[in-house]
Amino acid sequence: MKRFADLLRTTKNWMLGHKFRAVILALVLVFTAPWPARAQLISPCCALLVAGLSSIQSALTKVVGGGLNQILGVDKAMQQFQQAVVWPQNLINQARGLVGALQGNYNQIQNLMHIPVNSATLPTAQQLEQVLLSRNPNQIAQTAGAYTALYGPVPAPTAASPQVLNMVDMTDAAAQAAMKRAIEIDALADLELQAANQLNQSIQAAAPGSAPIIEAQADAWLIRANAYTQSATADLMRLRAVDLANASADIKMGATNTTNLRQALANLLQHQ
Amino acid sequence: MQGLLYMTFFAAFTWFVVKVQNHRRLMAVTLAGVMVVTLVGAPQPAQAQLGILQAIQAVLNVINGVIQTALTSINTVRTAVNNLQQLVAWPQQLINQARTQVTQMIGQYRNLMTNIFHINLNSATLPHPQALEAVIRDHQVNNFQGLTATFANVYGAVPVATAANPGDRAMSDMDDALALDNLKTLKAGDQATDIELQSADAIENSASQAAPGSAPFLTATAITSAIHAQALTQKLLAAELRQEAARIAHRNTLRKENATNTTQLRGVLVNLLQHQ
Repeated sequence: MKRFADLLRTTKNWMLGHKFRAVILALVLVFTAPWPARAQLISPCCALLVAGLSSIQSALTKVVGGGLNQILGVDKAMQQFQQAVVWPQNLINQARGLVGALQGNYNQIQNLMHIPVNSATLPTAQQLEQVLLSRNPNQIAQTAGAYTALYGPVPAPTAASPQVLNMVDMTDAAAQAAMKRAIEIDALADLELQAANQLNQSIQAAAPGSAPIIEAQADAWLIRANAYTQSATADLMRLRAVDLANASADIKMGATNTTNLRQALANLLQHQ
Repeated sequence: MQGLLYMTFFAAFTWFVVKVQNHRRLMAVTLAGVMVVTLVGAPQPAQAQLGILQAIQAVLNVINGVIQTALTSINTVRTAVNNLQQLVAWPQQLINQARTQVTQMIGQYRNLMTNIFHINLNSATLPHPQALEAVIRDHQVNNFQGLTATFANVYGAVPVATAANPGDRAMSDMDDALALDNLKTLKAGDQATDIELQSADAIENSASQAAPGSAPFLTATAITSAIHAQALTQKLLAAELRQEAARIAHRNTLRKENATNTTQLRGVLVNLLQHQ
């Protein structure tokens, strides 16, 4: 500290003794020292920077901002269109409400289909009727016994001609098969009603985008139901075909019997 | 860095100024020092200005080039998608047209078909058949006892035990039972059909106000209604199968009895001829 004070004192003495040289040093220092650039904002460099940044700002506002605003406008229009026209929430809720209301109708149909309709009064008829109306495929095996108890067995081989026996057996078979098919179809129809209710409940909880998936499954069930209906119709046609064939066989056997009777009568007259 | 260099040269210049002996040398040192120190202290050329300009121009080029092109393309695509949705996929005009068509067809067909469907078909002329006809067509399921009674009034009861053989009585009972079963099933089926028609009306009414996004719900529930309708048809077909089966079984039993009776008759005739 003392040395620094001595240095200052020495410098002061020298400057007082050499004023001209001190002035020269001061002037050189003032005019040649690299002073910090305090006036940046008004320097040409900064002005260029400002102009450049302004251009960028302008470009960002016009090009990017304008472009984004146009896209936003289109997107808003799309959003509004989709919300108001394509997927309006109130109409979606209304449709869901209808699906819920229709479930009540389906339940009524299901209940109607399960009303007991048994009407037989005698034991053998009651037994067959109970099997036929059971809607239970496990009872199909009991059909033959109950059927034979009511409609009788195929006659013994000595009790009728082979042709009659064949006809009787075929007719019994067709009738029993139709009865068995009726039990099957009843059971299948019950399952279809159950599945349809399940599907309808799924629709109530679905979104517009998932409803078509359930719809596709429902379509598959409908095709299946159509197939079962066709199968039942086919059995009905078989039954009627057998009935028609029986009527035809009756005519054929009648003709044969008449011919045989005529021959027997002719033989009888010749012997007399 | 430039400041440090300037201080070094300025210190050297100061040393020469202090040490120089005469004025001529002082002037020479001063001129030389001023030149050197001025060169050292002079501001460096602003080489970076050119870099900034180039950078700004590059940014502007990116904004006006790549970004503008991209935004224009996105806008073009979004506009095209918007137009596709509004003009091709879900045109408001066609949506309204479809709704109007549904409403128009409701007006055109519903009452007409309902009226046709409800035309009175009853044709019996005598009291008992009239009563039976009324009960089998009333679409009610709470009067099965009345159905059984009116059925017996028209078709009679099963013969008593002393009036027919057990086989014929059982068969007659079965025939009557299946006929009654089917009539009851048909009454239930008629009511179920009424409910199906109500469902169809409700779905059609909703379709007249539906949007493309709510229609799948209606379609799906319409299909489940169709499944119910198929199940109902199957129930009726099953009843028809039972009835037809019973009918040919009945005729087959008569055929069996005929065969047995013929055999017995033949035996009787043979015995008769042998005794003559």
